[in-house]
Amino acid sequence: MSDIPTTSTEATAGSPDAPAMPVPLGKGVRRFGRRLSDSALAYLLLLPSLIVFGVFAYYPLYRLFWYATHHQSRFRNRPATYVGFSQIRDTLTGTDFKDGLLHSGLFMVYTVPLGLILGILLAVSAHRRLKGIKIFQTIFSSTVASSVAVASVVFLTLVNAEIGYFRDVSWLSLKNPTSALFAVSLSAVWQNLGLTFIVVLAALQTVPDELIEAATLDGYGAIRRFFKITVPTISPALLFLAIVLVVFALQAYAQIEILTGGGPSGGTETLLFKIADPSGVRSLGEKASLSLGLFVLTAVVAGAQFGIMSKRVHYGD
Amino acid sequence: MGAVTFDEVTKKFGDVVAVDRFSVRIEDGEFMVLLGPSGCGKSTALRMIAGLEEVSGGILSIGERVVNNVAARDRDIAMVFQSYALYPHMTVAKNIESPLAANRKVRLPAAERATRVAEAAEILGLTDYLGRKPGELSGGQRQRVALARAIVRRPEVFLMDEPLSNLDAKLRTQTRLELVDLHRRLGTTFVYVTHDQVEAMTMADRIVVINEGRIQQVGAPQAVYESPANLFVATFIGSPPMNLISGKVSASAGGSVEVTTDAGTVTSTCSASLSKGADVVVGIRPEHLSLSETTSSGKGLRAKVENIELLGHERHVICSAAGSKIVFRQANDAAPVALGQEVTLDAEPDGTHLFDPTSTQRLN
Ligand SMILES: Nc1ncnc2c1ncn2[C@@H]1O[C@H](COP(=O)(O)OP(=O)(O)OP(=O)(O)O)[C@@H](O)[C@H]1O
Ligand SMILES: [Mg+2]
Repeated sequence: MSDIPTTSTEATAGSPDAPAMPVPLGKGVRRFGRRLSDSALAYLLLLPSLIVFGVFAYYPLYRLFWYATHHQSRFRNRPATYVGFSQIRDTLTGTDFKDGLLHSGLFMVYTVPLGLILGILLAVSAHRRLKGIKIFQTIFSSTVASSVAVASVVFLTLVNAEIGYFRDVSWLSLKNPTSALFAVSLSAVWQNLGLTFIVVLAALQTVPDELIEAATLDGYGAIRRFFKITVPTISPALLFLAIVLVVFALQAYAQIEILTGGGPSGGTETLLFKIADPSGVRSLGEKASLSLGLFVLTAVVAGAQFGIMSKRVHYGD
Repeated sequence: MGAVTFDEVTKKFGDVVAVDRFSVRIEDGEFMVLLGPSGCGKSTALRMIAGLEEVSGGILSIGERVVNNVAARDRDIAMVFQSYALYPHMTVAKNIESPLAANRKVRLPAAERATRVAEAAEILGLTDYLGRKPGELSGGQRQRVALARAIVRRPEVFLMDEPLSNLDAKLRTQTRLELVDLHRRLGTTFVYVTHDQVEAMTMADRIVVINEGRIQQVGAPQAVYESPANLFVATFIGSPPMNLISGKVSASAGGSVEVTTDAGTVTSTCSASLSKGADVVVGIRPEHLSLSETTSSGKGLRAKVENIELLGHERHVICSAAGSKIVFRQANDAAPVALGQEVTLDAEPDGTHLFDPTSTQRLN
């Protein structure tokens, strides 16, 4: 320990000539000045996004929290009363939330894997056989351009109990609580297919030909090559789609409203549908509490996806 | 074994004939370079050997086996791509192992795979990098991984498509030597595609010169350089390129031909006898021209110095002679010439090539 010089000896040893001392000091001041102006610039550059986030994300979140901790009478003229966390607790442990959670979860399970797989299948066949044939790509991706409302009405016509083409398909019936949720999910799968298709196709087209050729020469058969080389190479796009589809599933509203209006007997009421509450059966405070639940759920699911998949997703070099 | 035979092999893409009736036999263990300008069809020829392009006509064999209809994975070849085509999501070790593990039907046991990966990594100095991903390597290291992935399977034939073009000049020179060394060590057939004549000259046992889908000449580097088969080969190989001057045969006898050009008269060693007055193109490499000692003989090419390039060890003197550009080389210690000076240049008869202007073929 004795061989460690004290600060004072080091200072004298390090600066045998007297004028050396003020120089580092001046440098330090200048560096501090630069750091200050650097961070000022950084904050300035951040300002626009801070404003946008503040107005559209942080403030609403704060209001959400405020509503969730206040009891709002359904009659607007009564003042809100602060109730602490009791309203949140009651709502999030109640059957309403559990039902919504179940329906949202099922909606996710029905739409995400099926949507991804169908999108990949379509994109792969378009990429391989129809390379360059733009019209097929246009047909496949046309659902991107059509609105949810239009697509839902088309679907509604298809499953219409009197005249629909699929009127006799029992597992597509909108009259039965279990099949109704599946039918609505299918319609969502179909509506998202265009997006999935386009994203996967674009990703496939960025996979270098030489990579696939190298894999062919190495001896991979077509199927193993797809799973061992192509899928890992396009995995960032697949992760992106998985997250987007989950978010879509958790936020699905229009198709439910148009196809079933939440029925039959609440069988297609997802969390978001309950929050939107078109028939107005819940108080503002309850809906705010449900929203908090949905917020946490979305964050957890997206976080988990990142966590699980980031180990297996490869982001180029 | 690993000989590759092209017999009238043709490749068409629609109306484009990329490879036109190739006939050449690449011997087992040979380092063969396919050399030609961009778009001449050299990659296509290589990709046909690999099985990545179908053969449109003719017969292609590897060893004694006709491979026209053999799938790429069953051909026992390895290829190094220009972009290296490493799998970005796999470690270096997995990349190298890939050809041994990919085909589940013919997969080696894991222990043997590990030994062979270690061996290949050792040969290419990659042992310390086995755990990294390709994205964490320099260009030169990636190139080595691509080579290791090729040698690990011990193929009958190595195919390489411009494997050095993504390296900087210094690394390229070094890797050139290492490739030659690797070839010597492995003793396997190498088929190497490049548009760089220096790579071809320094590495090849033999060169196939290609232009517009056709083979122009096949031969050892020195032979191709010293007696180019036609005007294309003559001008494509050599830097600065061969000087070309048109002229007419003025005398032909006893193994030598005298040609009169607008710039003067030159003599060429030529065993064939050419008819007097025939049009020819005279080709003389810059190193076969020298300043004439005697200006009175009436022989030689009269030229005017227009530019001088100093290269350190030598000079390139660029002259104009009766409308054509003529370049000649001078050692650095030779008496300097001045810009604008009128000079007479003597050509070595053995280094004076004659070509037919219409067929472009060599005459002597
Ligand atoms: N898949 C293809 N479809 C149509 N034409 C092709 C295809 N591949 C190559 N060609 C054509 O065949 C000819 C030869 O191409 P090739 O790739 O063999 O050239 P190259 O000699 O390797 O050139 P470079 O040095 O630029 O790589 C070119 O005219 C090219 O346009
Ligand atoms: Mg090429």
